[in-house]
Amino acid sequence: MLTREEKDRVALLQGTLDLLILRTLLYGPQHGQGIARAIQDQSEDVLLVDHGALYPALQRLETKGWISAKWGISTNNRKARFYSLTKSGRKQLAQETSQWRKMAGAIARVLGPETMEG
Amino acid sequence: MFWRRKRTQGEFSEELQAHLELEADRLRGEGLSEEDAHAAAHRIVGNIMNIEERFYEANGWMWLDHLRQDVRYAMRQLRKNKGFTLVCALTLALGIGANTAVFTLVHAVMLKSLPVADPKSLYRIGDGGNCCVIGGYQGSHSIFSYALYRQLRDHTPEFAEIAAFSAGLDVVSVRRSGGQAMSQPFAGQCVSGDYFTMFGVAAYAGRALRRADDKPGAPPVAVMSYSTWQQHHALDPAVIGSTFVIDGTPVTVVGIAPPGFFGDTLRQDPPDFWIPLAVEPLMRGQNSLLKSDSHWLYLIGRLRPGAKPAAVQSELEVELKQWLTTQAGSQLTQVQKETIAKQRIRLTAGGRGIASMQREGSNTLKMLMMASGLVLLIAAANLATMLLARRAASRVQNAIRVALGAPRRRLILQSLTESVLLALVGGVAGLAVAFAGTRAILLLAFHGAKYVPIDSAPSWPVLGFAFLLSLVTGIVFGSLPAWISSHADPLNDLRGGNRSTGAHATLPQKCLVVLQAALSLVLLSGAGVLTQSLRNVEHQKFGFETDGRLIVAVSPAFTGYAQSRITTIYQQLRERLEQIPGVRSAALSLYAPMTGNNWENSIAVEGRPFAAREEDRDYSSWVTVSPHYFQTLGVHLVRGRLLDERDTPASRAVAVVNETFVRKYFKNEDPIGRHFGQGEEKNKFAYEIVGVVQDAKHMNAYEPAWPFFYLPLMQASAKEWPEVARANYINFIEVYAPGKPATLAPLIRRTIAETEANLTVVDILTFEDLVSLNFNQERTMARLTSAFGLLALLLACVGLYGLTAYSVARRTGEIGIRMALGAARGRVLSMVLRDALVLIAIGLAIGIPAELAVGRLLASQLYGVKSYDPLALGGAVVLLAGCALVAGLLPARRAAAIEPMQALRTE
Repeated sequence: MLTREEKDRVALLQGTLDLLILRTLLYGPQHGQGIARAIQDQSEDVLLVDHGALYPALQRLETKGWISAKWGISTNNRKARFYSLTKSGRKQLAQETSQWRKMAGAIARVLGPETMEG
Repeated sequence: MFWRRKRTQGEFSEELQAHLELEADRLRGEGLSEEDAHAAAHRIVGNIMNIEERFYEANGWMWLDHLRQDVRYAMRQLRKNKGFTLVCALTLALGIGANTAVFTLVHAVMLKSLPVADPKSLYRIGDGGNCCVIGGYQGSHSIFSYALYRQLRDHTPEFAEIAAFSAGLDVVSVRRSGGQAMSQPFAGQCVSGDYFTMFGVAAYAGRALRRADDKPGAPPVAVMSYSTWQQHHALDPAVIGSTFVIDGTPVTVVGIAPPGFFGDTLRQDPPDFWIPLAVEPLMRGQNSLLKSDSHWLYLIGRLRPGAKPAAVQSELEVELKQWLTTQAGSQLTQVQKETIAKQRIRLTAGGRGIASMQREGSNTLKMLMMASGLVLLIAAANLATMLLARRAASRVQNAIRVALGAPRRRLILQSLTESVLLALVGGVAGLAVAFAGTRAILLLAFHGAKYVPIDSAPSWPVLGFAFLLSLVTGIVFGSLPAWISSHADPLNDLRGGNRSTGAHATLPQKCLVVLQAALSLVLLSGAGVLTQSLRNVEHQKFGFETDGRLIVAVSPAFTGYAQSRITTIYQQLRERLEQIPGVRSAALSLYAPMTGNNWENSIAVEGRPFAAREEDRDYSSWVTVSPHYFQTLGVHLVRGRLLDERDTPASRAVAVVNETFVRKYFKNEDPIGRHFGQGEEKNKFAYEIVGVVQDAKHMNAYEPAWPFFYLPLMQASAKEWPEVARANYINFIEVYAPGKPATLAPLIRRTIAETEANLTVVDILTFEDLVSLNFNQERTMARLTSAFGLLALLLACVGLYGLTAYSVARRTGEIGIRMALGAARGRVLSMVLRDALVLIAIGLAIGIPAELAVGRLLASQLYGVKSYDPLALGGAVVLLAGCALVAGLLPARRAAAIEPMQALRTE
C-alpha cells in the first residue's frame, strides 16, 4: 500500500527520535503535529516520523523533565499542547548531539568511501 | 514522581484531536478537499485507539484503575456475604489483636528508649542487675559508692555528664507540712544534682533539680512525679514550693517531672520523689550510705559527640583499678592485688536506662510472642479455608472469566485484593482487641501495682505493626486461594456442574485443618504444662504456713533513736498487737519470707577451715527476728530451742539455723552449742547455735532452701550498735490471726500508728497474697497461654466445622445417590465423621512431636513438671478430640438427615 515516494523514506533508528524532538524544540515551543512535520521537512522528507510513536516519546521526555508542556493557540488559531525545552533538556541535547556526531563519524569511517555501493 | 504524570486520558485525547485537525489544516492548504484532508490526516497519524492505549499504559495509572476496580468488586463481595465477612474479620481480629497486644508490650519494654533527649548518646557504666546495697569487689562493676562515682565523674572528660542514682527505690514516709494528714508511704529515689540535666528532661512545672541542690548545706529540695501530683494532689499548683516532710526531713518540692517520665528504669511503681544525694544523710542519719564504702548507686552518663565507647570503657577500668588500689592503701595483699587486676567495667547502651525489666521479661515476652504467633497462624488458616470454600462455590463464574480471556495476573490480584481487604478489616477490629488485651495483660502481669508506666493505647509503631501484620496475613494466606482460582479449568468446571465426590478438590483445606489441629495441640498442652508448673511452685512445701497470717510491710524512720528506745518500741508493738482480739501471735523482722530480700554474708564456722579468698568462704543468708517469729509463721522447730525474750544484749549472742545450714556446715554433727560468726575469722565464735528450724524458702521459690541463720532482733551490745543498727530496723511485722485476718488490717494499722509515729505502714497483705505476688509473671504466662490455647482450639474447631459443613453441602447429590442405593443413615453419619476425625488424628500425630520440641524450650522455666507432661499432653489430646467430635458431628448429622429424593432433585 506504500506509494513509491514513501518507499524511499528511512525509518528512524531506535533512540534517535528523542534527539530529533529535542533538536526541533531548540527553535522554540512547538506542538506535536508541528514537531512531526518539522522533522520530516528538515530531513527533506527522508525521515519517516510515525505520528503515533511521537507521543510515547514526548511522554517519556516530559517524565524525564527534559521538556515541559502547556496548552496554547497555534498560528492558525487552534488550541494545541505546546512543548518546550527545559534547562536540563538543553544540556541533554548538547550531550546527545556530540555523542551522535561521534558515532556517525565512526560508522562512516568504518563503512569507508561511498564507492563500495553494489 | 506521581504528580508529574497527572495527565488525564481526556486531555490526551484532546491533544491527539488537535494533532489531527492541524494535519488536516496543512493538507487542506496543499489543496485537498475537506473530506480527503481528514481521511489523509487519520491515515498519517494512525490508529487513534492504539495510541491512546499506549499512552494509558505508559501513564502508570493502569494499576491504580485496576486496583480501584478490584477494591470496589471486593467490597461488593464482602457486603454481599455479610456472614462470611463477619466470621473472617472476627477470626482475624482475634489473631491480629492478640499479636498486637503482645507487640505493644514488646515495644514498650524491649524496644522503646527512655522518654529523654537523645537517648542514643546515653551510656550506662556497668551492666547487669546487682542491687541494691553491696560491698567489696564485684568482678564486673555495675553499682558504685558515692566516692567511686565522684572519682569516675571527675576523671572521665569524655562524658558531658555522669549522673548517679540509688539502685533500689526507698519507701519513704511523706506528709505535707502543716497538714493534718498522716504520713503515707511513697517511693523515693536519691539522685545526683545533674540527673535531670543529664537526661535532658525539663520540669513540667516549677524547676528540675540542679547541681547546686546537691551540695552539702543546700536547702533540701525534691521533684515530684507527675502521676503522684495527679493522683494525690489533683494537679494542685500550690504543691510547687510547698514543704513536705520526707522521712522526718522537711523538703521543698521545687518542680513536677514531665508526665511520661518515669526515671531511669521501666518498672511498676516508679519513684514518686527524686531527692538530691546531699539530702540522703539528713533523712538517714547515721545509716546514711553517702559517706559509706557500700556500693548503692547506678551510673548513666551522656558521652560527648565523637567519644569512642570502647576507649572510654578501658579508661574507666584504669580509673577503677587505681581507685581500688588507693583504697586498699598500705595493707594491699597479694591476693587483693590479683583480685583488683581482674575487676572490670562494661560500658553499655543506656538509652533504655537500667534494663532490668528487659532482662527479666524477655523470656516471658518471647514465649508470648510465640503463643500469639501460633494463634494468628491458626486464624489465618481459617481465613484461607473459608476463602477456598468461597472460591470453590463460585467456580462456574470463575471458569467463565478464564474462558473469556481474563489474564491470570488480574485474577490473582483480584483475589488477593479481597483477602487483603478482609485482613485489613480484621486488623482494624484487632486494634480494639489489642487495646483491651494489653490492659488485661498489664493488670495480670503487674498485679498489685499502683502505677505502671506502660501505655496500652496504640502508638504509631504499634499501628504500623498491626497494619503490616494484616497486610502480610492477607497476602500470604490469600495467595493459595488466589493461585487455585487462577488455575481454573474452564472446560471441566462448566461441564461438571456441581457434581463432585470431593476427594482431592478440598486437599488444601484439609491440610490447613491438619495444621490447625497440630498448632492448637502445641498451644493447649504448652498451657497445660505451664499451669501445672505454676500450681506446683505455688503449692509447694515452703516450710512456713500462710494460712491466717498477715504480713505488714513497714518503713522505719528511726534516725537518731537510741538503741534502748527502739527496743522499747519493739516490745510495746508486739505486746499491743498480740492483745488485739483474734490475734494469736505477732512478730517483727528485718525481712519476711518471699518478700524479695535478705542479707547474705561470708561466715566463719567453728571447726571448718577459713579460706583466704572471699569467694571460697562459707556463705549464709540471714535475717534478724523478734521472739514468736517462728510460731507466727509456722516454721517448726527441729532441735534445741527457738529465739525468745531471754535473748537480750545482756545474754550471750545466739542464733537459730535452718536444716540446710546444718547439712552444709555440720554434716553428721550436732550443731547445738557450736559456734560461727560473720565475715572475719576472729568472729568465729560470735554466735552460739541454740536451735535448728525446718527449711523455709526465703528468696527463690524455684531453688532448694539456702543455708540460713536467724539472729535475735536488738541483741547487740552498745559498742556494736552503730555498726549493726541497720540490721535491726524492721521492715516487716508478722501477725497470726486464725480465721479472718484481713478484717484486722485497720486495727493493726491504728495500733502501729499509736505505738510509734515514725513507723509507717507501707502495705498489709495476707501471707497467701504476698506469696502469690511472687508468681505474677508465671501466672501471666500460664493464664495467657491458656487463653491463647482455648482461642486456638475454638478457631481450629470452627475451621473443621466449616470444612465438614462445606464438603457435606458439596456432596449432597452424592450422598443422596448413596442413600437412594440403600446406604443407611448411620453409615452416612460415620462416613462424614470419619473424614473429619482422620484430619484431627493426622493433626495430633504431627502436633505431639512438635509439642515435645516446644516442651524442651520451656524446660528451664518449669517447676516439678517434666517438659513432656503426659497429663498435660493427654488432656490436650482429649480436649481437642472432644471438640473436634462436636465440630464434625453437627454437619455429619445434617448429612445423615438428607432426603435422597430432595437431594437428587436439587441437582
